Formats: sequence, C-alpha cells, structure tokens
Amino acid sequence: MEFAIKFAFDIMAFTSVMVLIVLGLGVIASMMGIFNFAHGELVLLGAYTVYVCDSVGIGGWTGVILAPLVVGAVGLVLEKTIIRRFYATPIIAMLGTYAIGLIIREIIRGLLGGHYKAIPEPLSGAFVVGGLEFSMWRSFIIATTLAVILGCWLLLTRTSIGLRVRGALENPMLARSCGISTGRLYALTFAFGAALAGLAGALIVPLYALSADIGIRFLVQAFLSVMLGGVGTFEGPVLGAAAVGGMAAGLPWVVSPVLADPLVFVIALAIVRLRPQGFISVGRL
Amino acid sequence: MNGPNLGRRRFLSSAAALSAAGWAGSVAGGMVLRPNWAHAAGAIKMGIATDITGAIAPSGNANWQVAQFAVEEINKAGGILGRPIELYLEDTASDPKIAVGNVRKLIQERKVDVVLGGITSAMRQAIKDPIVNRGKTLYIYPQLYEGQECTKFLYNTGPTPAQQCDRLIPYLIKTLGKKRFAMPSANYVWPQLLNKYARKVIEANGGEVVFEEYYPLDQAEYSATIGKIKDGKVDCVFMTIIPPGLQPFVKQLYESGFQKNGGALTCVYYDENLLNYHPAQEMEGLVSCLDYFQAVEDPFSKKLQEGYAKRFPDTKYLFTAGSASTGMYRGVKFYEAAVKATGGKLGREDVAAALDTAVLTEGPGGGAQMVPGHYHAKMNMYIAVCKSEGGKTRYDIIDKASMVDPREC
Repeated sequence: MEFAIKFAFDIMAFTSVMVLIVLGLGVIASMMGIFNFAHGELVLLGAYTVYVCDSVGIGGWTGVILAPLVVGAVGLVLEKTIIRRFYATPIIAMLGTYAIGLIIREIIRGLLGGHYKAIPEPLSGAFVVGGLEFSMWRSFIIATTLAVILGCWLLLTRTSIGLRVRGALENPMLARSCGISTGRLYALTFAFGAALAGLAGALIVPLYALSADIGIRFLVQAFLSVMLGGVGTFEGPVLGAAAVGGMAAGLPWVVSPVLADPLVFVIALAIVRLRPQGFISVGRL
Repeated sequence: MNGPNLGRRRFLSSAAALSAAGWAGSVAGGMVLRPNWAHAAGAIKMGIATDITGAIAPSGNANWQVAQFAVEEINKAGGILGRPIELYLEDTASDPKIAVGNVRKLIQERKVDVVLGGITSAMRQAIKDPIVNRGKTLYIYPQLYEGQECTKFLYNTGPTPAQQCDRLIPYLIKTLGKKRFAMPSANYVWPQLLNKYARKVIEANGGEVVFEEYYPLDQAEYSATIGKIKDGKVDCVFMTIIPPGLQPFVKQLYESGFQKNGGALTCVYYDENLLNYHPAQEMEGLVSCLDYFQAVEDPFSKKLQEGYAKRFPDTKYLFTAGSASTGMYRGVKFYEAAVKATGGKLGREDVAAALDTAVLTEGPGGGAQMVPGHYHAKMNMYIAVCKSEGGKTRYDIIDKASMVDPREC
C-alpha cells in the first residue's frame, strides 16, 4: 500500500509537469492551428524570470507570479509582430517559431555562460502523511496543475470569451461577420498560451535547474502529447500529456530506462495510428 | 579583458568577435594569440582545439583561458629556451563533425607543433586521427576519462579510472563502511568503461554492486531508480549521470531521504563548478575524487589560482579539475619540459621521446610525471567531501594520495 501511494504520487508529479508544459502548446495548436516550436523557449523564459528574481533577491515566489505575466507579454509582442503573419502558412509558421526559439535559447545560453544554475524551491522540504514523506514543491505543482486545468476549462466553456474563442475556431469567417474580432482573439490566445508556458517554466525550474535547454528537452514529448490527444480540443492535449507523462515515469519500472524512452514513442505512435483523430473526437470545443 | 597581450589579439575572420557576454563566441576563422616579442628561430606554435561554443562550452572556455594563462607565464619567463610560444585556437564547437575540419586548419594551415584539447571522449576519438595519423602531429588530451587510449604520439594528462577509483572505493568501503553500491549512469562510453573498472575494485574490496543502470542523457524522471535504491538497501550511490539528466536525479535521491538515512553519494567528476548546479543542501556529504580541488592549499596551487584570478577577474570559467583545466595546464607544462629536454628540437619523434619521461615538479595539486611507455601521467589524487553551510558549499579535503599510478596501456 505504501509503495502504491508513493508510486502514484511520483507518477502524478511527473505527469503534472508534462501537462503544465503541454497545456500552453495545446491551447495554441488547437485554437489557432499553429505548432509553436518556440514553446520550449517560452518555458525557458518563465524559468529565467524566476532565476532573475531569485538573484536580485526579491524571492522565488515573486518570480513564480511574475513569470506568466512576463512571458504572456512576450507572447503578445511576438504575436503582434511575427506570428500573425504565419496564420495562412502553418508549415512556414513551424520554421518561423523554431527560429524565434533558437534566438531566445542562444541568447539565454550566452547570459548563463552555458552553465546550469540551481534554483531553490520557494516552498522546500516535505510533509508527512501517515508516515510517508511527500515533497512540498511537487505537491504544489500537482495542485497548481489541477487548478490551472479547471480554470482553463471554465474559461473556455463557461464564459463569453470562451464562447467567442470557440466560435472563432469553428468558423472564423462567420465569427468575423458576427462582429467578433478574430485577430484580437488570436493575439489574446497566443499570449495566454505563452503565459501558461511561462508558468510551467517557473514551476519546473527548481526540479531541473536552469539551463538553456530546459524547455527543449520536453518539446518533442509535448508535441507527441498533442498529437496523441488530438488537435482541436482542450481536453485532448491534456489527456495526451497525462498518457505520455505516465508512460515516461512508469515504464522504467518494468523495462530498462534506455528502452523506456523509445518505447513511449512506439506506444504513442501505435495509438495515433489506431486513433488518428486523437483521444477526443466528439464534443469538440 | 585586459593584459598587454590582448592588444595584439587578432581575429582572422572579419566578422568573428567575442561579445562581452561570451556568446556569439564565434571563432569561425580561428584565433591567434601572439607573444609580444620575437625570436630569430621563430615562435613555437601551439594549437588549442577546444569547445568554445555548444554544450561543453563552459569547460572549453575554461581550457582556453588556462592555456592562455600557462603560455603567458612561460613567455613572460623568457619562453622555451628563448623561443616564445604562439597560441592558435580553433573551436571544436562540442560537435565532432565541425571539429575535424577546424582541427585540420590547425595542422595544415597553421602548421602547429602540438595540439592540446578535446574534452569529451567522442571528441578525442574524432580529432585524434586528423592530428596524429594524417597530421603527423603530437596530441595532448587533458580530460579525466575512461582510459584505454594507447595511441602513439597521444599523451593523456588527466586522471584515469584507476587514479580515480583505487583510493576512493576502498575509502568508501573500509572507512565509511559502505557495502551495497548502485551505479546509475548516463548511457555513453565514459560511464560504461569507468563502471567496468569501478565494479572490479568494489568487488575486490568486499563490496557488492546491487545494480548498474543506464539512462538517456536527458532523462527527467527517476522514481523507478530511486525505488530500486530503496528496495536494494543501497548504501552508496556511485553516480556517473551527467547534465541535463543529473539534476533531477540528485534532487529525487535527496528527497527520498537517502543521505539523511546514512547513504553516501559519490561522483568522480564533481569539481567546484558542479556544486553550483544543485541547491546547497543536496550536495551535503557528496564524495569526489580528483587530481585537484581549490581547497588544496599547497603554496604553488594557491599561487596559480591567484594568478588566474588576476588574469581573468570575475570569470565564469573556473580553474578546476573536472573541466579538464588542470590537465590543460599540465599538458602545456609537460610540452615545455619536453622541448627543453630536446634542446629546442620540435620534431615529433624527438619531443615525444622527451615527453615520455617528462617530470613536472609542481602544478595544480602538485607535480606530475609521465610513466615511460604508457602515455599517461602519475599525479596526486585527492578525496574531498562537500560541506554545506548556510546555503554555501565547499569541499573539505580528507585524503591525499601521492603520485598515483594511472595503470593504463
């Protein structure tokens, strides 16, 4: 029983990390049809914001709160200046966002001198329940992830903004003729996705230490999650991320870790082959 | 960026300029550092091929700075038998494919007399052929590594598995009383071969290897491994995971209470840089074994650190053992000693013959001595334990072994 609880906690903790990272990517891919290859670097910017706050001494919590705001603002500027030129050409958008990501990544690599920086958890230590120790920060990540998923879902399904976003997604022409400014909606959606990436970066950086590659190491798995869950829905990428995260954490228990890594892809691709429309195909947002 | 020699820094590529922050560090056309005086017979040309950009850049830049520092010292003291050393840098860019072309430039265009550099084993394997075989040039490799490099005209100036394990493992078993070892490792050549050697030493000393396991280099989640460490009642983790997979492992190990419950974590490439890769509390009690730590306080090592700090004030690239900097310093000095012994002859055969028996009376962590016919050097080895106090970490030296044999070739 003890083992089962610990096991479940570890898998939940890592799955939450995956979901947090995928959420922003999924929102942008689903709502706008843009595969944002700079997503890893938006995560990196969130992590870097925490590092800057930490090193000027205004505390890790300030960084965690600032990160989504800063990265959201960066996302807004990127959308206004660059991304909006790519809506008609999704393939070029991939290359364009990849280039943006490369620039951000290498600038930060230079600022860090290529080194890694340890970031302390704003909430460190562990709490004990029934003789079992649980890391405070990992628990905080799990809780935040659940809250963010709930918040996003309510925003998209229960508010008028959500209604307009869904309308713009379903039929942009009709939405525009109804007086919805799809351009503004897209800008806000991209900024929102970027802010989620920033939050993810801020939350995971104490676990992995800051380096220029902190975002990119999750990027391929994140894309896999979106593919697995299905583009065009909100729940799809979340479920996809949960599946990929769960497999990545769970498989090393049964097979050698070097095998586990490719096995995640093999299984995921097999599922995609069987269900090319993703997990969720009815009741799209 | 100061010092008299730097005024003469010349960038051969029109565009290449090292920016103040250190990135865009494109040395695309290579770079020459000339002495500020000349000699009738011309300068001795020393080529440095190291990773100025890419993933290994922190170590590569430290190597380049240490090479400059050592060469400037030699030139200031009158050069080698009156001839100054001219330094040529080529970036190996942490990428063997790029490196081979750039190293060829050192050999064919610059016609250097010796090449020092390469940090990873993959890099050494890639550039040794263009240097030693096709280039017919002497090669000195500075990094601690997995051993078994016995190529003629290739001299290794960093520690070998024997030097890192022969003293450390008996210390872990006999002094600390650890018996059950786990070997979590990154999946590439250095951990594989080092573990093979370490396993022999562990078993010879009455210890037991509970599991040896390899991970993708960027693995992010280790709960399965932590589970095995707990279930196997492991009391010593002999780790060879490298960044970026390193930090999540160390954090999860720490969170599992392994150290708190008396377990020992040991890793033989941990120098002063690596301590900054983790929160201080996770490093408490870490055992490392290297040819030099900054806590080694012999007068010469102290003087070296002071000189380096003066030459590169506030540098991000420290003079440490794990980044191959000590091997680089030793390599430059070994070459100097060898050329002195040949009476100034620079032919490869002559210098190699002299290098084979070269002795350094002093260096970082003490002197060193080539083992004739074995292409490796005897050197002092230190065991250090990390102490963490008030969020700061430091190494305490707890054991010194003098002139440890490399036991290679």
